[in-house]
Amino acid sequence: MPLTPETLTRHELVGLQTRVVESTNPDSVGIGGRVVDETMRTLVIEGDRVRRVPKQGTTFEFALPRTDEAADAEKASGTTFELPSETAGRTGQSDGCEDVAYVTVDGTRLLSRPALRTEKAGVSIWR
Amino acid sequence: MGIAAERIDRLATLAREAVTAGETDRARRYVRLARRIAERNRLTLPRSFRRFTCDACDAYLRPGRNARVRLADGHVVVRCDCGATARYPYE
Ligand SMILES: [Zn+2]
Repeated sequence: MPLTPETLTRHELVGLQTRVVESTNPDSVGIGGRVVDETMRTLVIEGDRVRRVPKQGTTFEFALPRTDEAADAEKASGTTFELPSETAGRTGQSDGCEDVAYVTVDGTRLLSRPALRTEKAGVSIWR
Repeated sequence: MGIAAERIDRLATLAREAVTAGETDRARRYVRLARRIAERNRLTLPRSFRRFTCDACDAYLRPGRNARVRLADGHVVVRCDCGATARYPYE
């Protein structure tokens, strides 16, 4: 299970490049850099300086390095974007570099202890 | 390879890089998280991970940087900067 837009919420976020695209706190919009740490409710992003951003109320845009494996999985699941993922979706590839995919994720979907996210993330079937 | 195994793999790489960059405490966070993921998912940590982490303080060990490695009769002695030693047999 490589790191793809579908598995992002259950995969390791530390080490990824990210950017805050939307937030209830206007001051944190635009914070970007590398994720260096994660807690249950926050992400620590290191850009020009180290900032701790709450997951709740923040929309992140992650840059996924595209590997061959991930590209194959993406083709295989090309239609899954239409599934009920109103909060996670691809914003589109940037023009110049084709080896990076950008994924926007509502931080609320990442609210979980870092070690448990692999098991818990996703929409519960119990409603 | 499942997501959990991949996360452990990536955390090991990140921890190694963090120690090289001088961020030993950040590396500790990664090692602890990797251990927790292995525990939750009932995975055996790779041997390289077990040998290059300190059982006492969770530091990621880079020999020469924050660990000393000595050969003794029949075993390798790895001493972390925290003082804990680990011994591994060899033929
Ligand atoms: Zn130690």
